[in-house]
Amino acid sequence: MNLNDKISDKAPARIGFYICHCGTNIAGALDVPAVRDYVAKMPGVIVARDYKYMCSDPGQELLGKDITEHKLNRIVVASCSPLLHENTFRKALEKAGLNPFYFQMVNIREHVAWVHTDKPGATRKAKDLCSAAVRRVKFHKFLEKKKVPYHPDVLVVGAGIAGIQAALTMANAGKKVYLVEREPSIGGHMAMFDKTFPTLDCAACILTPKMSAVKSHPNITLWTYSEVAKTEGSAGNFKVTVKRKPRYVKEELCVGCNDCIDNCVFKEPKFADEFNMGLGKRKPVYMPFPQATPHVALIDAETCLHFKTGKCKQSCAEACDRKAIDFNQKEEIKEIQVGTLLLATGFEVFDAAKDPYYGYGVHPGVYTSLEIERLVNASGPTNGEIVLRDGRKPKSVGIIHCVGSRDAKTNKWCSRVCCMYSLKLAHLIKEHTGAEVYNFYIDMRTPGKMYEEFYDRLLEEGVHFVRGRVSEVSDFAMSPEEEGKLILRAEDTLAGFVRRVPVDMVVLSTGLTPKKDSQTVARLFNIGRSPEGFFQERHPKLAPVNTFTDGIFIAGCCQGPKDIPDTVAQAGAAAAEALALIDKAYIELEPDTAFVVEDTCSGCKSCVPLCPYTAVSFDEVKKKAVINETLCKGCGTCVAACPSGSIKQNLFEDEQIFSEIEGVLTND
Amino acid sequence: MRIEEKVKRESRRDPEFARWVRSVAGGEDIRRCIQCGACSSACQLSSYMDYTPRRIINLAREGFKKEVLGSFTIWLCASCYACRAQCPKEIKITDIMYALKRRAIREGTYPARFPTAVMAKEFANMIFSRGRVTENYLVTMLFLKTNWFKFLGMSRLGLGLLRAGRMSFFPDSVKNRSEIKTILNAVDGK
Ligand SMILES: Cc1cc2nc3c(=O)[nH]c(=O)nc-3n(C[C@H](O)[C@H](O)[C@H](O)COP(=O)(O)OP(=O)(O)OC[C@H]3O[C@@H](n4cnc5c(N)ncnc54)[C@H](O)[C@@H]3O)c2cc1C
Ligand code: SF4
Ligand code: SF4
Ligand code: SF4
Ligand code: SF4
Repeated sequence: MNLNDKISDKAPARIGFYICHCGTNIAGALDVPAVRDYVAKMPGVIVARDYKYMCSDPGQELLGKDITEHKLNRIVVASCSPLLHENTFRKALEKAGLNPFYFQMVNIREHVAWVHTDKPGATRKAKDLCSAAVRRVKFHKFLEKKKVPYHPDVLVVGAGIAGIQAALTMANAGKKVYLVEREPSIGGHMAMFDKTFPTLDCAACILTPKMSAVKSHPNITLWTYSEVAKTEGSAGNFKVTVKRKPRYVKEELCVGCNDCIDNCVFKEPKFADEFNMGLGKRKPVYMPFPQATPHVALIDAETCLHFKTGKCKQSCAEACDRKAIDFNQKEEIKEIQVGTLLLATGFEVFDAAKDPYYGYGVHPGVYTSLEIERLVNASGPTNGEIVLRDGRKPKSVGIIHCVGSRDAKTNKWCSRVCCMYSLKLAHLIKEHTGAEVYNFYIDMRTPGKMYEEFYDRLLEEGVHFVRGRVSEVSDFAMSPEEEGKLILRAEDTLAGFVRRVPVDMVVLSTGLTPKKDSQTVARLFNIGRSPEGFFQERHPKLAPVNTFTDGIFIAGCCQGPKDIPDTVAQAGAAAAEALALIDKAYIELEPDTAFVVEDTCSGCKSCVPLCPYTAVSFDEVKKKAVINETLCKGCGTCVAACPSGSIKQNLFEDEQIFSEIEGVLTND
Repeated sequence: MRIEEKVKRESRRDPEFARWVRSVAGGEDIRRCIQCGACSSACQLSSYMDYTPRRIINLAREGFKKEVLGSFTIWLCASCYACRAQCPKEIKITDIMYALKRRAIREGTYPARFPTAVMAKEFANMIFSRGRVTENYLVTMLFLKTNWFKFLGMSRLGLGLLRAGRMSFFPDSVKNRSEIKTILNAVDGK
């Protein structure tokens, strides 16, 4: 008997049934022999066995041996989730010469053993599910996976350190990479820092070489000030539309000489400067920061006199001898074809104004950590001097940890990096100002190579560590020493009393949150988000850079808070996973796709607009619906929608589903 | 019971005192303490202390002088070094306790009538003036300055010791008292 052609679909079923103990995972929660014996009596079942670990090599060999010896042509394995081992068993069938789709898996671990405590009940449920699978597998048909070529180009979205690292890794491996960044310059948050913990090496010194490498890499196409507007297709074959905002300066002509900026009709910078968190000012035509990459000026139409009144003499354009300024620049739309997408869209810091007790935006002496990063930065608005808004140097500074973290009212999670950056800022503030620094913390979380040692160092530097969450920042003085100060009130839980500490400057160590548009972006790329809003990895431990959508990877803080070393490691991992897919050069498509039975299709077109993956189109000549197998994800929407029942889906045909339902319902 | 304000303002902190603690022998690493509490749990006497050794370290390095020098803890410390042996940051807790005791005696801030403090002070005084300790005098001073009723209760034992020649009525003394003084002053850095 030839088991591997369509004719064998019709051969009488010879079923092999295997139930796995999974150690005690399954065997401890239900009566495995009883289920085995129950199935053994079902019509068509030739062998029924139980085994300690079906996924082990001997388990798979047992299956293969039975297929040959007993001429089995259908296999059912009752064990764990198909997500884990469906592929393992399908491969075992294939090895024994059987079509891998003559197989059905029953999840009696996650769906039965792990969720029930009543053993007889669990055993009954397992019997029902196994009987359903045995009935359904008889109707399984010969199927083949389709191979489609995998487009080798990659799109990386977001050019913080994660996106930069991933893009460089793949470009160095010879892949063509598109790198799309929303802001006028690449670099992300890291570009804003002065020093990085725990080594205190200068952020710019280690980041700018990578930024330049991106800009000059022959395999990288860098589009800044751009965003992805649309994605279509699936792994191996995505079509992506990118919108490029006009910067009114021609990127290919501008050499970043700053002549336009010097000659703008606004003699002095007047407008809040985004990169410096509004602590500094810029002109309408500006360079985001000295190391901006690409090193190209841009004009902000919101503030530029020409765009607002049409009456500017355009001295910027006059000053530019390369004629790079172009007021007529329009938004550009680019369409690209790539096989892989890598998202590295990063994070946002918690909006400190949302915490009513800490007075951000009310008391001028209250700052966020990112603002302090800009103040201590030599290229920041104060050239690295830490001064208050009124120009005074602070003599005492309070740093409040966990702002917008570990708090049921805002965000429940620990943001992982803020203890460390608070220590870093304490060091830098002490170094720059000699001020007394108080860190108010709940727990000191310093897990990482050389991190605890960094905490030791700060302890020795004489920072005051007060263990307790500050309840409020107020300017209500209760004694002469508190006059004109901001007073922090917290229980020093280690000293055992409440303290009032008056300071000149308060730093809020705001937590890391998902970006406000993370839901829109997740939808755009058809990936999931975890409950708090960061992008969802396929598996928290074993597939941390994969998503549930094939061909789409995530790296960096868009997946969850992490520091730069972890971000870079994750970016490398995501790049490696992407390269593994690309270098395979083709992608195998699951055969559980829908197909049109042309004879009965009436050409009503109901199905066409319903497909979420735009896989259904209409053949105007034949007047029939057509399904593109490459695009179809097997969601079943069109199958259910077709009024004449003319769309079927592999592995989900009517007789398969009905016999499965019968199996569940006809148990004794 | 009188209700009083317990919140501590920054003016209650004495940075000078914190600096002094760091300057004494054994105090140099006090800032490294991570407040793990190993010292307090290792200390067999912490059950009777008003502040645990961990809190003493915390308060001392922050400069809460009044609390530290007024606490019973430093007087209950038996100098057993159990805390020092267990401290993950190798803080010389016992040495710090000694330094705090000395400072408390010097400033007269030890709890009045607390025997350990009184005894330590009288002991030191005697050594300074005579170079030797005379138990009879030491015990007398201790009881007189703490609880003289007890002194009466102990008189029989005292008389017995005297009769057996175990205690002397006459004050002991070294031959050359001024030499002892010079040595002790040198130790104190005078
Ligand atoms: C105050 C502070 C201090 C810190 N200090 C340190 C430190 O000293 N050491 C350390 O190891 N870590 C530090 N961190 C953590 C560090 O910032 C992160 O680990 C790192 O920045 C994560 O990089 P990323 O590329 O994932 O995200 P980001 O730096 O946020 O970069 C994301 C990039 O994607 C772009 N983007 C976002 N959405 C889109 C979109 N839809 N389309 C196109 N582009 C998009 C953004 O504009 C940005 O350029 C600190 C964090 C904070 C808040
Ligand atoms: S057009 Fe005028 S206002 Fe605008 S950037 Fe040029 S000089 Fe400045
Ligand atoms: S890392 Fe530290 S400051 Fe940040 S949320 Fe966690 S405990 Fe709080
Ligand atoms: S054992 Fe050492 S580190 Fe721990 S609380 Fe005591 S002194 Fe501090
Ligand atoms: S040396 Fe003193 S504080 Fe330390 S354990 Fe012994 S008695 Fe306790």
